[in-house]
Amino acid sequence: MAKILIPTALRQFTELQDSVDIAGATVGEALSQLTAKYPNIKKNLFNDAGKLRSFVNVYVNDEDIRYLDREQTELQGDETVSIVPSIAGGASGIAEPATAALTNEEIARYSRHLILPEVGMDGQLKLKQAKVAMIGAGGLGAPLGLYLAAAGIGRIGIVDFDVVDASNLQRQVIHGTNDIGRRKIDSAADRMRQINPNVVIDKYDTGLTSQNALEILRPYDIVVDGTDNFPTRYLVNDACVLLNKPNVYGSIFRFEGQATVFAYEDGPCYRCLYPEPPPPGLIPSCAEGGVLGILPGMIGVIQATETVKLILGVGQTLKNRLLLYDALNMQFRELKLRRDRECPVCGDHPTVTKLIDYQQFCGVYEGTNPAPNAGEVIDPIEVKAKLDRGDSFTLLDVREPHEYQIAKIPGSLLIPLGELPKRLNELNPAAEVVTQCKSGARSQKALELLKQNGFGNVRNMTGGITAWSDKVDPSVPKY
Amino acid sequence: MIVIETKPWQAMVLHAERVYPNECCGAMLGHQQGERKTVTEAIPLENSSEREQREHYEIKPEDLLAADRAARERGLDLIGIFHSHPDCDAYFSDTDLKNSCPWYSFVVLSVKNGKFDHGNSFIPDPDQTRADREDISWQKS
Repeated sequence: MAKILIPTALRQFTELQDSVDIAGATVGEALSQLTAKYPNIKKNLFNDAGKLRSFVNVYVNDEDIRYLDREQTELQGDETVSIVPSIAGGASGIAEPATAALTNEEIARYSRHLILPEVGMDGQLKLKQAKVAMIGAGGLGAPLGLYLAAAGIGRIGIVDFDVVDASNLQRQVIHGTNDIGRRKIDSAADRMRQINPNVVIDKYDTGLTSQNALEILRPYDIVVDGTDNFPTRYLVNDACVLLNKPNVYGSIFRFEGQATVFAYEDGPCYRCLYPEPPPPGLIPSCAEGGVLGILPGMIGVIQATETVKLILGVGQTLKNRLLLYDALNMQFRELKLRRDRECPVCGDHPTVTKLIDYQQFCGVYEGTNPAPNAGEVIDPIEVKAKLDRGDSFTLLDVREPHEYQIAKIPGSLLIPLGELPKRLNELNPAAEVVTQCKSGARSQKALELLKQNGFGNVRNMTGGITAWSDKVDPSVPKY
Repeated sequence: MIVIETKPWQAMVLHAERVYPNECCGAMLGHQQGERKTVTEAIPLENSSEREQREHYEIKPEDLLAADRAARERGLDLIGIFHSHPDCDAYFSDTDLKNSCPWYSFVVLSVKNGKFDHGNSFIPDPDQTRADREDISWQKS
């Protein structure tokens, strides 16, 4: 007689016995005798077709019968037979082919979608099964995260390495005042879960790089580009083309924005529009050039709309169209786009077949600053000491007048970088000059300009007035 | 109704927080009287999933067999399985359902930002088509 150990939950069918002695030449025979003796146990072990249920494993002593002769495994009579379920699972229900239906909570939540014929039950299930990667949880990422979560996208990945800064709050409405100093992915994910706890959120606390981009983006259906710099924008573009995933693109600058859908079906990619990046420093970032806080809201919401349409497969997407938005004059315009057959990434004979070094491609290293020579830089603390000693030198501030109004270093001379070439005569080439701007980038350009014009003793104050506020005088506001 | 005593509850939460950002898993031992289950011991088990462990877990049958034996040796029953959902809620996902077994209570612990957030218990049906919620209570201390 072999001894069959009965799992706790099944003992209600075996008169509460925790083991049953059964005769039988094989495992199969022993199990059918067990079910003959205790008929109610049968449906727990076998399906309607009489096969062992998928989760049921049978062990003879320590051996899984799948590795013996399965149900024909012979029994001598002194064995212990164990019934062990296989157990697995995980949060990624949505990653599986969905038999999923909407729960009653979801039906109530999405009812205004469900009554739209273009969405309906099928469309809402598509949204629930969709996986979207958001690159950046900043200006564009804020409305994207809020609306994609609210719309019921099943799975959203957020890639961002940054923390929330006070200067973000004017436009990055997914973060609040209490979030200053928190990781943006944490702050954004919390807010999105508040809106819709059904959404699964994957957080990537990293910048997107050539090394990690393909791995991070591969599991997602659609990539939404909310980046603020050219190297990452080219990286996202190339990764999307290589992975054959649509890239929902948006960008913002001061009062103007753009949006389109790249790398979708036979449409163009970012490189078809801009084969080459602009020279480094030509286009200021939001931090340098400023941006109307509402602008990314507008563009991000357009991106969210395109994302939802791509998932639902309804309407006309922005493929082949670049939408231009001018907030100052409140105008929308459209440019036609075409895939460039000579495009190095998505053209007929691509030359870029793997991710490259995008910092190098865009001519930038360590942000946008040209590498300064040692000896041509000066620390704010040293500048302060020079001012205190009453040294004879010119502290040249090359920012714009409206920036000067916000914060300035006493004793500095303001000549905006753009006016500097025609106002060189206001400066003495023989005198010592320290250049200064907000963060050190523009003042480095000013330094180069002065040197080319015969100034012999010029240094750039590292970190600009921001570093001055950090290191010397915290009463000077940072902007 | 499943009631988890202080010691096993602390062990489960600790295991879930330690394994974060991956999913953890383990077995719950105790006894059952009618519909009321009491967990007196929790055994952390290895997550043997070869998929991305942030969102998958798998318990080796031999580990479960060992847990079942441990229970019998101590005069206890194997009454449930626990696992964690890092950075999402403690729902019973399709993956959970399709790989479940109706004989056990399935306790899911939501761990957010590395800290336990909330927990739920479910009992799946034999055809793996639905899982009903089970009342759960745990004793913090």
